[in-house]
Formats: sequence, C-alpha cells, structure tokens
Amino acid sequence: MTPREIAILVMTLGGVFFAVVAVVGLIRLPDLYTRAHSTSKSETLGALLALGAVALAFDGTMTTVKTVLLLLFMFITNPTAAHAIVRAAAEQGIEPWTTDEEGDEA
Amino acid sequence: MTGTGYLIPVSESRSVRNTVRYAVEQATDRAAETGESVTLRFVYPLSKRLSFDEGTGEAEHARSLLDRVEAWADEDLGADTESAVEVYTSLVGTREYLFSPSDYADVLAEYARTHGIDVVVFDPDFDPLGTTALLPPIENELRRGDFEVEKAAVARARRGTLLVRRGTVAQFLGLATISTLFYLLLAGSLAPFELATGTISGLVVATALWGISLTTPIQPAQMAGRVGRLLLYIPYLVWEVVVANLKIAYVVLHPDLPIDPEVVEFDAAVWSALPVTTLANSITLTPGTVTVDVTRRHFTVHALTKDSKAGLLGGSLERAVRFVFYGRSAARIPSPIERRDTETQSDGETEETEEAVDR
Repeated sequence: MTPREIAILVMTLGGVFFAVVAVVGLIRLPDLYTRAHSTSKSETLGALLALGAVALAFDGTMTTVKTVLLLLFMFITNPTAAHAIVRAAAEQGIEPWTTDEEGDEA
Repeated sequence: MTGTGYLIPVSESRSVRNTVRYAVEQATDRAAETGESVTLRFVYPLSKRLSFDEGTGEAEHARSLLDRVEAWADEDLGADTESAVEVYTSLVGTREYLFSPSDYADVLAEYARTHGIDVVVFDPDFDPLGTTALLPPIENELRRGDFEVEKAAVARARRGTLLVRRGTVAQFLGLATISTLFYLLLAGSLAPFELATGTISGLVVATALWGISLTTPIQPAQMAGRVGRLLLYIPYLVWEVVVANLKIAYVVLHPDLPIDPEVVEFDAAVWSALPVTTLANSITLTPGTVTVDVTRRHFTVHALTKDSKAGLLGGSLERAVRFVFYGRSAARIPSPIERRDTETQSDGETEETEEAVDR
C-alpha cells in the first residue's frame, strides 16, 4: 500500500468511527440539546473525514477541488443548522436536561 | 443641566450643512419661546474602536467634520444672539465596534441619557456606513427607548443618484468578478463557452445581490490581513475540533455517560456581525458546546460537560476570532472569566458563577 492509500483508509475509518459515535450519542443522550451536540459535531467531523478521503482518492483532479469546496460548505452549514434547531427549541421554552433531576428521567 | 437638549448625529452627507442650519433654527426658536438655555450636541458615531484603529483615518475625518459643524453652527447662530444656545461636538462609540442599527442606537441613547437629552434630530441622509440604509431602524430603536425623534426638514438629495454612488460600482464589479471566478473554478476550464456563461452568471449574481453582499467598502490591505490570519485560524480550529471530538466520543461511549449539561451565558468581546457569526459557529463546532442564542454580543451557550464549559469561558476561541478580525492587539483582551461577564443557568433559575459572587 502506498502512503496515500493508508491515509485514505485511516480517514475513512475515522469518518466511520465518528459517524457511529454520532449515532450512539443520538440514542443515548437524554434530551434535544445534548443530542444536538452529538449530531452536529461528531457528525461534522465524520463527514469531513469521509469527504477528505474522497478528495485524496481522486488525487488532484477537478473532483478533488469540488470535494474540498463541499467539505468547506459542510463545515460552515452544519453548525449553523444545529444552532438553528437548538435556538428554535429554546424559543419554544424547552427546558434543558440537567443532572439534578436524574430521578425523573428515563 | 437645565433646559432642553438636542442630539444631532452627523456623518458626511450632502444635507449635513442644512441639518446644522435646521437644528440651530429649532434651538434658537425654542430658546426664545421658553427663555431657557438650549444645548445642541453634534455627535459622530465612530464605527471602529478607537484604540485599535491603527490608521485613525476615520477618527481624523470625523474630527474635521465636527470642526466644520461647529463653525457652521457658530455662523448660523450669528454674533448678535448672545448665546441662549450652546453648541458641543463629540465623538461617540469610541470604545466599541458599531455595526448594526441597534449598536448605533445604543451608543446614541447612552450619550443622550448622560447629557439629559430627549430630542434627537436626524439628518435625513445620515448614513454612517456609507452604503446601507441604517437610519429607519436606528430611529425605531430610539423611539422605543422613549426619545423624541425628528428629521431635519431639509431639501433632500435625489434618491435616483443612490445607485451610481462612489464605491458602489467597484463593489458591483468586485462581486461580479468573484462570482465569475467561482463559476470558472467549478467549470474547471477556460473555454470560450465557459468564459461567456461565467461572465453572464457573474453579472446576474452581482445585479441581484448588489445591495446585500459586500456592503462595506473593500479595503484590500485589511482584507489581506484577515484572510492571512484566517488561514492560521483554520488549522487551529480543526485541531480544537478533533481534540474535543475525541473527548465527546469518550463521554458518549462511556458506560456511565458522564455528562453534566448546563446553559452558560456570557458577553463576548467581539463586535460586528461577521466576527460574532464566526465565533458562534466555532463554538458550535467545538464539541461540548452549542450556541443556543446570540443577541448582539450576548451569547447563550449549551455546554455538555464541565470541561467544555471551562474551555469556553477560558476564551481561547474568542481570542482567536479577535485575532483574525482585529489583529494581534485585540487578542490580548481578557477572557470572559477574567472580565467576569458570565452567568450560569441551572434548573431554570439563574445563579451566578463563583467568580461573580466574590464581587
């Protein structure tokens, strides 16, 4: 394997790992706010790593440039979307879950 | 201070001379009517923080305008009116960056309150940024703050000239060029067909978004500095994101799920829209913290763990964003904890952090 292939492999595996973390977080975390953490961030990094692997795999063609642009836009829009969701929730008056009320929570 | 006061914000505009005359007439009439002294306060809201303004171009310009205003006012008052009308001039907003209409309104309202002024007279062409129409929203904000707002009755410049105003053509061309280059980048070739369609698309985009995008004049040197520092910031941000993501992965995969979510509020020391957006997005990207709401510079952030909260209030991200937009001197402003600008919400009731309680 060339170093490039190793890099691609490592990035793909990293992407899969963080995507899995995002899903596990989505299921395990207690409320909307905490879930937004896992879906917005772990998910962003997972997608970034996967797209980075794609960019490397295409090796300097136009597709690489486009993939990098795609990556950049995900980097900007993903947190914005998470923020929009969380803010909407806050405006609806949804109370954030805290450790103090552990007893009531399933 | 007894008597009445007028606050007149001024900026370089065609009708500023007539506004001064109008204000002086109003003040003279008022003084004659009531027999009390009347003060006229002409202020120039500086859009930039004075201490960071290396060139001080804007400040010098503002001072020269205020000097002219004072001379005009003296001229209009004439020698014979043994002054029931006093004229003052001043720069305001020297300690912060002004961007949105509410920033301007806040600064003006604060100044008016300190000097016991309740009437604000606007030059109808008052336009501090030179490109966007800030006046109506500023007026609304001030009315909401219980100020009497009037427009100086002066002959207005023709609206039709707005589109060919100095600088705007350059912005149009800049926007068209950027759009065209981006089009060509996506097309990936410089064939005549792509050049033609790209130019047309660029012009269409520039026409549609002319008034929205690139609304402040482009200053190449400042832009280059920002882009350069942004290139330093991105690797730093990516590193932060990766490290913090690993921590979150640990928390999420840990059998006990050791989380301690909390809502933190703090005032960030960043001023205009773009830096605030960058900071808000960076906060959201750094795992463990999501920006819930931003009202001007007041951030409400949801933090997942104690660690992430401490990292947030340590202010390293904030400092980095300031470094990108304002340069190295701005990066030395203390962090939120040192400034004691924070409060923590838990259980719906607000309690202050330990640092704040010591006060």
